Amino acid sequence: MGNEPIKNAVLVIPCSGIGKVHGLMSREATYLVTDELAPAQTDTLCLALLVKGDSEAVAAVRSHACITIDGCVKACAEKNVAMAGGRVAKAIQVAEAFKNHRGAKPGNATALTDDGWTITREIADSVACEAASLCASEEAIR
Amino acid sequence: MSPQTTKVGIISCSGEAIPEGTISRLATRRVLELLRPNATVTLCLPLFLAGNEAERNFAKTHPTITIDGCEKQCAKWGTEEHSGPVSSALVVTGILGTRAVGCHRASRDATQPDKEAVWAVAERIAAEVDTVLAETGPRDDIAAGSSGAQCSCSSPASGGKLIVLGVAVSIPGLPLIFEQCVERDIPADTGGCSALVEAVRIYRRILPEEETGYRSALLAAYQAFRSGPQPAK
Repeated sequence: MGNEPIKNAVLVIPCSGIGKVHGLMSREATYLVTDELAPAQTDTLCLALLVKGDSEAVAAVRSHACITIDGCVKACAEKNVAMAGGRVAKAIQVAEAFKNHRGAKPGNATALTDDGWTITREIADSVACEAASLCASEEAIR
Repeated sequence: MSPQTTKVGIISCSGEAIPEGTISRLATRRVLELLRPNATVTLCLPLFLAGNEAERNFAKTHPTITIDGCEKQCAKWGTEEHSGPVSSALVVTGILGTRAVGCHRASRDATQPDKEAVWAVAERIAAEVDTVLAETGPRDDIAAGSSGAQCSCSSPASGGKLIVLGVAVSIPGLPLIFEQCVERDIPADTGGCSALVEAVRIYRRILPEEETGYRSALLAAYQAFRSGPQPAK
């Protein structure tokens, strides 16, 4: 939420953890979803705004279905959305995606390797599917 | 806190919604990995709410600089609210002005202006780290990276070795510095010597009497770098 109102149904919120590659993967997966795979259905907002307690950000997570993507078990994105009273429809952990990629070298917290992009794209595909499913459910309710 | 253990904390907003958030995150990484690897540590901003007491005490145990993407200053506000007062607060839009226009959020879209924006902000953060350290204690060899201490979340970038006036010198991240020089079209001949010295001076103190030695050593190393395989863009 830079400063634009959120129009789309699903909010994808990554932790963007700054210390490990998993945080970068959460962030880049989010952009793949919001900019490429499901731009009409998804949007993102700054997690830092929730840490700040910004009223618009709090209202946004309460009024939209949220998919959180966390790099580590501390689950900062999921916890912060929940603490703000948001609706966490799906909580994803980047580490889970490594189960099918044993020995992969994804890069570091600054840049992803080809392995890193492959896994990140898989996460993004999964999030886009989830977002489509959530949108379909909301349409059905209406 | 003893002078030997003083490290400056850098908290980035990493705002996902705007390009300046990406710049804040990458510039912070660059300071941690390359510019001031032995003098800085970081913590994920959301951990102030989601983490434990030790994490919430971060700004009480480190002089802390916040780097925010926009004037909302979420990192500054969040750090001071949940952890403690900050030593300095920087804002990307304040540093770059209109230069952030046209930058991108996703790294796969990054272009030369994105990279230059990150460098400019990283250099500003590094200068602020020096100021904070000057106020809190000595900083011998911080830029040179010769101490055993490392950032809490990653290892510094690999260095490069030079022989300057007969003495072996290690410069952290020298290949990355050269990579940036290539991107800036700095020539690998005597015409590029001054620019090479200035680029390295950001990371390592060069005394006036050493400058001639650095000029020839850096030029030779840069020529060797340019004649070798170039990294993928």
